[in-house]
Formats: sequence, structure tokens, C-alpha cells
Amino acid sequence: MADRRVAITGLGVVAPNACGAAAFWDKLIEGQSGIDRISAFDPTNFPCRIGGELRDFSARGYVPRDYRKAVKVMARDIEIAVAAADMAFRDSGIVTKGIDPAATTIDSRRLGCNIGAGLICSDLNELGAAVNTAVVGGKFDLKTWGSSGMTNLTPLWLLKYLPNMLSCHVTIIHGAEGPSNTITCGDASGHLAIGEAARLIARGGADVVIAGGAESKLNPMGMLRQQLLKRLCTTGNDSPTSACRPFDAGHAGAVVGEGGGLVILEEMSRAKARGARIYAEIAGFGAACDPCGLDVMNPTAGGLENAAAKAVAQAGIDASELGMILAHGTAVPGEDDCECAAWKAALGEKAPSIPAFALTGATGSLFAGAGAMEVVAAALALHNQVVPQTVNFASLAEGCSLNLSARPRPMNADYVISGSFGIGGQSGVLVLRKCK
Amino acid sequence: MSKRRIVITGTGAVNPLGHDVESMWKAMLTCQSGIRPTELFDASTFPSTFSAQVTGFDLAAHIGQSITKHPHIGRHGSFALAAAIQAWKQSRLGEWSKLDPRRLGVYLGSGEGSLDFDNFTGLLVDAWKDGSLDTAEWARLALERMRLQNEVQQESNMVLAHLAAEFQARGPAYNVLTACAASTQAIGEASMQIRCGDADAIITGGAHSMIHPYGVTGFNRLTALSTRNSEYQTASRPFDQTRDGFVLGEGAAILIIEDYELAKARGANILAEIIGYGASADAFRITDQDPEGAGAAASMRAALADAGIDHTQIDYISAHGTGTKQNDQVETRGIKAVFGNNTKVPVSSVKSMVGHLIAAAGATELITCILAIRDQVLPPTTNYHHLDPDCDLDYVPNEPRKAKVEICMSNSFGFGGQNNTLIIKRAD
Repeated sequence: MADRRVAITGLGVVAPNACGAAAFWDKLIEGQSGIDRISAFDPTNFPCRIGGELRDFSARGYVPRDYRKAVKVMARDIEIAVAAADMAFRDSGIVTKGIDPAATTIDSRRLGCNIGAGLICSDLNELGAAVNTAVVGGKFDLKTWGSSGMTNLTPLWLLKYLPNMLSCHVTIIHGAEGPSNTITCGDASGHLAIGEAARLIARGGADVVIAGGAESKLNPMGMLRQQLLKRLCTTGNDSPTSACRPFDAGHAGAVVGEGGGLVILEEMSRAKARGARIYAEIAGFGAACDPCGLDVMNPTAGGLENAAAKAVAQAGIDASELGMILAHGTAVPGEDDCECAAWKAALGEKAPSIPAFALTGATGSLFAGAGAMEVVAAALALHNQVVPQTVNFASLAEGCSLNLSARPRPMNADYVISGSFGIGGQSGVLVLRKCK
Repeated sequence: MSKRRIVITGTGAVNPLGHDVESMWKAMLTCQSGIRPTELFDASTFPSTFSAQVTGFDLAAHIGQSITKHPHIGRHGSFALAAAIQAWKQSRLGEWSKLDPRRLGVYLGSGEGSLDFDNFTGLLVDAWKDGSLDTAEWARLALERMRLQNEVQQESNMVLAHLAAEFQARGPAYNVLTACAASTQAIGEASMQIRCGDADAIITGGAHSMIHPYGVTGFNRLTALSTRNSEYQTASRPFDQTRDGFVLGEGAAILIIEDYELAKARGANILAEIIGYGASADAFRITDQDPEGAGAAASMRAALADAGIDHTQIDYISAHGTGTKQNDQVETRGIKAVFGNNTKVPVSSVKSMVGHLIAAAGATELITCILAIRDQVLPPTTNYHHLDPDCDLDYVPNEPRKAKVEICMSNSFGFGGQNNTLIIKRAD
């Protein structure tokens, strides 16, 4: 039995520069950055004080009325996923329980979910208010915490921060009773989740899967961890929109963003039978790791070269057929170098001539939300046959070799490739095919 | 086209009952309890003052000189590394010269690392001004006090990085964190990777430690933990009418799984074959399981269908059996929905002895299924004395039982409704 084919029929995106696939695409073509000085908290003493924030964002408008109370127990990462899920299903035209319980067009048992997530940071004000009820002699006192302090936390406090709650809220809202997974592999999570979900459909375990990832590290704890890793740009505080410069000669570190993307994957014949808009087909997928990833201060591309080679081989194409490389582009100089070398190792000498594009100039680094947003952008680029511009790109950094441009370029190709990798050394790559 | 078959060729475990698989198994067959007053921190005023801790563990005893490669490894990572070394040695995969590192994967259900709690709470106190956090002051102090590696090791994919480094794996690497179902899901998804040809062999399983003030706070606030502080040794009472919550444990369990043809070709000792994997979501509520056990039943049915067998062929079910009021009742209903109201299938929960290892629970329990098949004996549900009318299956109460065991099912259900089931059979 030949494997079943998998189409992308819906896109949901919550990005610092736009919400929703159509608006997101417009911003990519305009080259509009979503990076600004951080407003959610006072960043004064952080060396990097800018980020790709979601301003005035709440999931409340994206959940059914009878589920609005639950938004209170959603960490921001969860809210992003829930909002992106609503947009993705609406975009696909599939009617779930969450869209209209009286008119569903999908068998709940055949609807799966696979959403990548990160280490969700505690709301320090919420936890701090409780912690400060357990202070004795100016110091936190564990005995007081155990006997009374902890009761100041809402009983459901833990459930706000479990990474699987992105998937769980989405499955509950949309009535997805099929297999549900939560991948926590840093920046690679989105590609791995979408790849694994495509495999699930291919082997017949589900007909439709909502897959992707979301994360927010735009909070004091998340910023602190990135700062300790010395990955952040500290020279762009006075010029936020031009601070994040993937592969550019002026690249000087990552900028933290928040957001995510979810795609609707659907078995191809089902998608065609209902006349769905098919953005792309999943043509190839590869995953890999680099054992050197353990040394977090020494950049790697997480085995991206092996993951990309596998994805291209599975698609059964030559690298010359690729119309675009959607690069991960963290803008951390060592990481950018490793990434370029990985694409070259996987795609050969042609790699530097294939038109390339990186999102981060406009959005910052989105961690578990990055990969899926990149796949959304890749699907839109393929569908529209345009390679968007890379915000803040002027000239290649020494040691980097990708064909980036400061202007959108027309595409005339059937395939694009997109990959991501993260701290710890894991990577995932997808090849998308245009559906004729 | 026939599917690639998946076999288990190595197992390793570190948990409150032992620091290797055989010690754990001996303890289970003699009904030992791994539960004691919590010593990892001062829990004396917490609602639950006891837990199932790993004690006397020394990573160096497992890893030797190689420990220098892992200077910053955290507590659950250490458990995982020791368990992985045991599994790797047993599999003898490292002796096989044709192993392509790009075909060797790592697929774990590993939890987050432990929070740097003293530093963390200290900062919240010192930067607290007039009822809210002064983030500028917090940042100033945190940049001085917080340590890079303590923070990095909290990301749940770092255990993957340690195992990939130790065994020089370059294949697919995933971590999943579907709460209490994580390592069962990891093993199931890892099997699917081998089945579809993405890898030849995968180091899989799980690791977790939530026995720290933050973890116990979270579970105590949910009222999920047993608070039977004066009877801690018998506090984990799955399926018993007097059960009052689970007992938090910690540990790791790692398995080496590989393509059957590869295992045969290299003359490996095959411990068992994974024949079925099922997954489902309750899609019900974040706080409660589907009361009829529909999600649990769907997971079990999917695993049976994947295995291509009938429920009557299952000789034993290793239950999720946490000892919470709800889980045990729902799981019982789910089993009945699949196996029939009058089923005689034996079901037991080793959590009665080892506690609930959260993300590491499923992999630990799957290893007990392998041993049940090997030794033709079922591990018991200890502390079972009071019949709950809603839980009326054969729970193998209080002592191990000789039985004919060829095919076993192992269930894991996560908070939030992610359900997973694995089925294994004796190697042929």
C-alpha cells in the first residue's frame, strides 16, 4: 500500500507583525518588522531591551463563548496556540466543534493534534505575590510556604504551565479525539511536530491533524535565560526594527519574539474531494541531531545537514528544483555560519544560488513557535510564487553563503525547503511541493 | 508490503526501588515500597510530606570516566544517562560496527529540569516592591545570581542532548512532554519512526523528577497527591476504595528499540517485540478525564487494531493506575468498554510500590511487562484491601502471581487527556 499523501489546507499564525495568514503575508511582502522596545515589563536592566511583542493580544476572541473562563488558566504560550488553531481551522474551511458544534464536517476520532511547546515561564507577579506571603525575617521560608503560602496560588496553577496544555486546550475546544502529541525540542519543535503529524496521516492514523508550535519567552525569566546564553543582540536597543539581522554583515545576536503557527494537515484525497484550497503538499521530511549540541556555548546547526538531505531525498528531487530555502536565521553570528554550512552540505554547491529568506528580521526568534511559523511562511511563498524579502538584510556576513534579498522576488518553482534547529542540537526539515 | 517489525534489545532503569532493572524487579516481586518521608527538601509542612525518591544514587558508578563529558547534568538527566548506559550495554548495539550514527535516533519523554528554587524564590522576595515585582531590580539581581547551566538544563530537550552526546547519535531526536503519558508516547512514536524507515535503532524512554518544592506545590494545589502522611508506606493504593491520590516519584527508564531484521542480522538478544501502539485524546476538560473512559478505551482499541489482535489475546494489563479517585475509576471503565464487563484480564499498578514517576512512568511500566513475559509472573498491586464498587477488575492484589504471559498491554494517561497504549509480545 502506498503511503497516503498529505496536504496543507489551513494556516493560522500569531506573529509580532500580524495575526492571521493573509495579514502575515502582506507584512512579509512589505517587509514590516514587529520588533520594538519591550512594553510588557520594565526591561531597564536587561542588556537587550527590545523584542517582537504581541501587543493587545488575548485568546478571548478566539474561543467559543462557553470556554472564555478557561483563558484565565492559559499561560501566554497556550493563548497563542489556541488563537492560531481557531484561525487555522477557519482558514481551512473544516468545521470543528469549536467553530460550530451544530455543523461539524470532521469525525472527531480522525482529527489529531501535535503542537510543539517550550519551557513555559511562570508569571513572576502571580508567583511572587504568593511567595511574599511566606517571608520570615526578610527571607523566603519553606516551612511557611508549605503550611500556608502555597494556598495563595490558584488550585489550577500547575496546569497553566504544563507544555502539553497547548495541545490539550486545542483538542478540547475543537473536539480532536485522535492522537495528540506535544514536542518540546526548542526551535526544532514546529518542524518536528508537523513532520510527525504528516507521518500520522500518511500511515492512516488520522485524516486531519492540526500541527505546529507556539512559545513566548518575552518575559523576565525567558529573557534572562537567553541573556545568560549570550545569544541576544545588545547593540540595537536604540534602533529596534533594524536590530535583528539574520546572515547580514551586521548580525549581532538574536532578538526574542513571541508567537506561533499552526497548520491544518489533511489527507490529499479528502482535501481534493471537498475542493479545499491546498497551499502545498508535504513532499519530504527529515529529522536529525548533532551530538555536539550538548555544549550550548558552542553553536551547531543541530544536524540540519542530515535532516535536509533526508527531506530532499524523500521528496525525490534534485536541489536545483528548490525555489526557496526558508532559513532559520537566528542572527547569532556563530549559528548563522553553522546554518549556511549545513545547507551547503545538504544541497551541494548550488545552495548559495537558491533564493533564500529568513523571517527573524521581522519577528525575532520564536523558539518552539519558530518552525511552524516558518512553515506557514514557506507554504504562503510557494502558493503565491514569491520569495519575500529578508528584513534588515543588506550584505552577507563573512562566512555566510545564502542568496538573500532585501526585495521580494518572483518564484517559478514547484518546491521549497524549510528547516529549523535549536539549543540542545535537534533539527527538523520539511520540503513542500506546489499542488497543481 | 509488510511493515517493519520493532523489537526491544536493551532496558535500563533508575527508580526508588533500584538503580537497575533487576533490583527494581526483585523489589516488586517482594512487594517492597519505595516511599519514604521526603528528604530532598524540607516538606514537613506541605500537605504531602512523603514521596518515592531515588536514594543513594551515584552517576559515576554507572558511567565511570565518561562523567566528565556531562559536567552540568541535572538530576533526572543523571537517572536517564545511567539507565541508558544499562540499556545500551544490554543491547550490545555499540559493538555492531555497521551502525550508522545517522540511523540511530533518540526519542524521549523527558520532563523539565528542576528549578533553581532557592535562588528563584530569593529573587522574588528581594525584588518585590509595594506589592509587585520590580523587574528592573529583578533583572539586575538575576543576572548576578542565576547560573547559566542551571537554567539551560531546565529545558526538557537537554536530556536528549546528553544521550545523543554519550552515544554519538545523529539520527532523529525528539522529546515529548505529554505529562504522565510522555514516555509511553515516546516509545510508541519511536516505534513508528523505525516502522516507516526513518531510523534503524532508537534510544527511547523517559526521565523525570518533580520532587522539589515547585513540583509538590503544583500537585498539592491540584489535590492530586495522597496526604496519608502517617501511613506513607501504604499510601499508594491504586484501585483500593480508600485511595486518596498518587505518590510522587522520580526516575528514568530507557529502552533500546530497533528494526527486527537488523536485530536478527547482528545476533542480538531480543527481549520482546512491540506489536501495537495507540494514542487518543479525551478532548474533554483540562482538569478531568472523560468519566466514561472513552478516551482511554479509544487508545486501547487503537493499539489492538495496530497489533492486529483481539482483546482476548492480552494476558496482562499494566495499568496507569495512579491511585487518584478519578483515574482508577475511569481506567476501569475504559478497560471494561474494550474487554467486556466481565473480563478476567489481570490488571495491576506497580505505582503502588514505585510511586508515580510522571514522564518516566510509562517506560518503567513497559519494562515490567517485558519481565512479566520473561519470568511468567505478574507484579502485584500492593496496598489493595478495600473493594471499590466502581473498580471491580482483577488487580493482582498484594502478591505477585504466576501466570502464562505472552502478550501485555501498558497504559498511560496524561493530565489534559492525552492517552497512550503499547502492546508487546514475547520475542519469537
